[in-house]
Amino acid sequence: MQKMSPLTRTLGICFLFLLPAPIFIVFVASFNGSAYIQFPPESYSFRWYVEALTDARWARAVGTSLWIAAVTASLVTVISFLAAYFTLRYAPRINTALELAIFSPLFFPHACMGVATVALMANFGIVGTPWAIILAHMMVVIPFSYRPIHIALRSVDPDLIRAAEVMGASELRALKDIILPMCRSGILTSLLFSGIISFDEVTVTMFLIGPDVTTLTVQIFTFIQDDASPVLAAISTISVVLTFIAIILLERVAGLSFFVQRSGS
Amino acid sequence: MNVHLSSTIQTSDGADGSIDVNAVSKSYGSVEVLSSVNLAIAAGTFVTLLGPSGCGKTTLLRLIAGFIEPTQGHIQINGVDVSGVPTQKRPIGMVFQNLALFPHFSVAENIAYGLKIKKVAADEIDRRVARFIGLVGLDGMGDRRISQLSGGQKQRVALARSLVLEPSILLLDEPLSALDMQLRRQLQIALKDIQRKLKTTFVFVTHDQEEATILSDTVVVMGDGKVQQVGTPQDIYSNPNNLFVSKFIGELNEIKGRVTASGRDLTLETEVGPLTLPASAAQGFTPRAGDEVVVCLRPEHLHVAAPDAPANGSVALAGQITDCLVSGPLTHMGIQTGRTILSSVMMTQAGNAALPSASPCKVLFDPAHARVFAPLSDRLAKAFGEQP
Amino acid sequence: MNSGERVTFGKFLMLLPMLILLAMFFTSVVTLFSNAFVERGGFSFKYFQQIIDRPDYHVVFYRTVLSSILVAILAVLFSYPIALLLWRANTWRNMLLIVVLVPWLVSLVVRTYGWIIILGPKGFINAFLGWLGVIETPLKLMFNDIGIIIGLTHVLVPFAVISILSSLLSIEENLEEASRVLGASSLETFRRVVFPLSLPGVFTALMVLYLGSVGAIVTPLLLGGITEKFVGTQIHSEVMSSFNMSKAAAWSLCLLALSFVSLVIIKLIERRALRGQE
Repeated sequence: MQKMSPLTRTLGICFLFLLPAPIFIVFVASFNGSAYIQFPPESYSFRWYVEALTDARWARAVGTSLWIAAVTASLVTVISFLAAYFTLRYAPRINTALELAIFSPLFFPHACMGVATVALMANFGIVGTPWAIILAHMMVVIPFSYRPIHIALRSVDPDLIRAAEVMGASELRALKDIILPMCRSGILTSLLFSGIISFDEVTVTMFLIGPDVTTLTVQIFTFIQDDASPVLAAISTISVVLTFIAIILLERVAGLSFFVQRSGS
Repeated sequence: MNVHLSSTIQTSDGADGSIDVNAVSKSYGSVEVLSSVNLAIAAGTFVTLLGPSGCGKTTLLRLIAGFIEPTQGHIQINGVDVSGVPTQKRPIGMVFQNLALFPHFSVAENIAYGLKIKKVAADEIDRRVARFIGLVGLDGMGDRRISQLSGGQKQRVALARSLVLEPSILLLDEPLSALDMQLRRQLQIALKDIQRKLKTTFVFVTHDQEEATILSDTVVVMGDGKVQQVGTPQDIYSNPNNLFVSKFIGELNEIKGRVTASGRDLTLETEVGPLTLPASAAQGFTPRAGDEVVVCLRPEHLHVAAPDAPANGSVALAGQITDCLVSGPLTHMGIQTGRTILSSVMMTQAGNAALPSASPCKVLFDPAHARVFAPLSDRLAKAFGEQP
Repeated sequence: MNSGERVTFGKFLMLLPMLILLAMFFTSVVTLFSNAFVERGGFSFKYFQQIIDRPDYHVVFYRTVLSSILVAILAVLFSYPIALLLWRANTWRNMLLIVVLVPWLVSLVVRTYGWIIILGPKGFINAFLGWLGVIETPLKLMFNDIGIIIGLTHVLVPFAVISILSSLLSIEENLEEASRVLGASSLETFRRVVFPLSLPGVFTALMVLYLGSVGAIVTPLLLGGITEKFVGTQIHSEVMSSFNMSKAAAWSLCLLALSFVSLVIIKLIERRALRGQE
C-alpha cells in the first residue's frame, strides 16, 4: 500500500483513539475510591464493583438483558435465514421489494420507532413485559441480521442443494447437511451482531420497560438521571466487557470483514 | 439402433431408463423458453442435447430433473408420469456444470452422501464407494479434500457421486465445458466407456457439436426452444433438416440466392452466379420462383481444380484462390467465387500444395451434395448472433 | 439462484415469519398515524396546530435539525482521516477496526456517561483546566448545545468510519496506481480518484448520521438537560411524564416527515455530486 501524508496519518491516529476515550474514562473511573465520580481518581478500590455485584437490581437487569438479547438474536436469525433462503431459491423476483421492507426500519429515527412500538405494544396489551421488548428489538435488528445471512447464502452455489436433492436428500436434510455448515459464519455474524445490538439498545427499549422488567442499559440511563453514583461506572464497565467479549467472539468465529463489505457486491 | 426419436409424438417402450417428453412447454412470464417439445429417449442410450446458449436445452434438463415444472405437457420417466414428483423421488442422477461438489466433504464423503441418505449399511457404503472410486480412476484419493483435486479429478468425483446411486438416468449439464481440450478429450473417452459398461441412459447437454458427435448415439439439436432435428451424429451431419442444423453442425459454405424457376430442376440466381440444382436439393420445403434461399455446401464437398479441368457432371464455378493453408493431410483453401468466398477442404496431394494466391481455378461439386434451405427465421438467426 | 422453482404453500411458510415481523413494523407506523390524528374518538389536528402555533416548539425543531446537520458534517470530517488510516493499514486493519467497532457497539448510554464524566462541572476537562490555573469557575460544557453536539458527534463517528471505509475498500487498487503512473501526484490522485469514489460512502454516512441525530433521545437528554430540548427529548417527556401518546405520535410524525424530506434533499445532493460517475 502507498504511504499517506504524515498529517493525515497523525490526524487519523488521534481521532481513532479519541473514539474509545470516553469508554476508557468510564473504565478508569470505575476503580475510583471516593464517594463521587472523579477522573482521574484520587484513590483506587473495587468497592463499586462489590456494590454492583451485590445489588440484586443490577444482577437482575444484566440477566434480563442477556436473555432478551439471546432470544431476540435466535428468533431474528431463524426468521432471516428462512426468508433469505426462500427468496433466493424460490422468489428471486421479490428480493428487491423484500430488502426494501427489511431495511426500512433503518431509515426510521429511533425516537419515532420508540413511540410507534410503544403504541403497537399498548394495543397488544404487552407493554412492560419482556415480549414487548423482544418484539421491538426484533424490528430494530432485523436489517443487521438479514444482511450477513443473505450475503452468506448468496455465495453458496445453488446447485449444491439441488445436487443433494438429486442424491435423494429432502430439502430439510440438504439444508442441514450442506447449506447450514456453509453459511456458518453468516449465521454466527447474525446471532452475535443482533445480540450485541439488542443488549445495548436503549432508545426504543426505554419506552417499553415496566415495573417488573428493565434492561441493563435502560437501568443505567435511569440511574444517571437520578444520581450519578460511581456504581454506574462499574456497571457500565461490566456492560462494555460483555459487549467486547461478543465482538472478539465475532472476530474469532466469523471475522470482521463483513462490516466493511459493500452490499452491492 | 433401437432409438426412435423425432419431433412428432412417439413414445419409448417405457423401459427402465427411458424418458418421454410429451408436448412440454415452459414459459417465464411472457417468455417461452420451450415450446411444445416432444422427445422419446430409449433406455441405455447416450443422448446429447445440442444447441447454442438460450436454446432451451438446459431448461429441458432441469425439467427432467424436476427442479422446475412444465407450463404445459408432461414428462414420463421409466414409463411413469413424473408431474409433481419432487427431484429426490426421481430415479435420476445429475452432474452439474460447476459440478456442485460439497466443499466441506472429502472425496469419499461426497460419493457416500447419497448412500447415507438412503440409509445403506455402513460396510456396504464403504464397499460401493471404493468400487466407484476405482471405476472413475481415483484409487487412493478417497480422503482428499475437494480443494486438493485437479479439474479433471473433480469431474470424476462428480460422476462417481452420481453413479454410485445407480440411477437409471444420468443427466449431465455441460460438465466438461470448463476443461482444456486435452483433458476434455480424455474425459469424453472415459465417459463413453463408463456409459457402455453401466448401460445407464446418459442425457448430456452441450453447445459443442464436436463433443456431441464424439459421445452420442443420438443427437438432439435444439434451437429457439424447439427440437430442430433428432438423429445419429452422421445422419444429422449428412442430412440436416434445415439451415439452423446445417450451420450448427460442422463447417458450411452458405450461398445466398433467389429461385428463378422451379420444377424438376431448381434454377437459382446466387452470389456465385446462376446455378441449376436437382429439385431434391431442397428438403423440407418446396421452393417457388422468387423465394429467397440459401444453398449450403460442406467444404469437403468442394473440389478445387485447374481452370481447364473437365466438369464430368459436376457443377463448375470459376474462381480465384485467395488463400491456401496446408495442415498436414488437409489443405484448406479460400476461393473468391462471384461475390463470396467459398472455403474448401481437400486431402493434400502433390500439386495443390503450393497454389499461389490469386491464381484462377475452377470449383467443382456434385449437385447431389448441395442443400437448399429457406433462410433462418429472425429468432434462430439471433442464436448465431446474426442481425436479422 | 435461478427463478421458477416450484413453490408450494409449505415452502411459502418459510417467508411467513418475516412477513409477520414486517407487518408488525408497518402496523406500528399506522398506529402512529391513528394516535396522532385521533383524540377522544374523533379526528383531531390539535397537536399539529400546536406545533405550528407555538414559537418555543419551532425552536426545538430548529435546534434539532441544525444540530443534526452540524453533527453529521462534523462526524464525517472526523471519520474521514480514520477511514483513510484503516484503509492504508493492511496488516493492522482488523485490530484497528476493533477500536472502531467497540465504541460503535457499546451502548450509547455508556458512551454518553463517559462524556458526562469528561464535560461535567466537576469533570475531567474542568478539573484539568482548574489544575492548570487557566480557569477559576468551571466552563459550562454540558447542559447546552455544545455538550449535545460533542456527544452526538462522538456517538455517530464510528458508523461514518465504517461506511466510508467500505467505499474506500471497494476502489480497485490498480485504479490508484494507474493514476500515479499517468503522472498525477498523490494529492491529485486523492482529489481526482480516491475522494470521488469514496463519495457514496460519505453520503450514506451523512444520511444515517443525520437520522441518528434527529432521532436521538438519550444523548441530548443527558448532555443537554431539560432546558435545551431536542425533538426526541420532547417526545420522551410526552410519553414518559405527560403520558400524552397523541401528542408524542404527532411529534413523531413531524419528525418522520422532516427526516424524509431531509433524506430526499441529501439524495438529490448526492446525485448532483455523483453525476458523471457510474
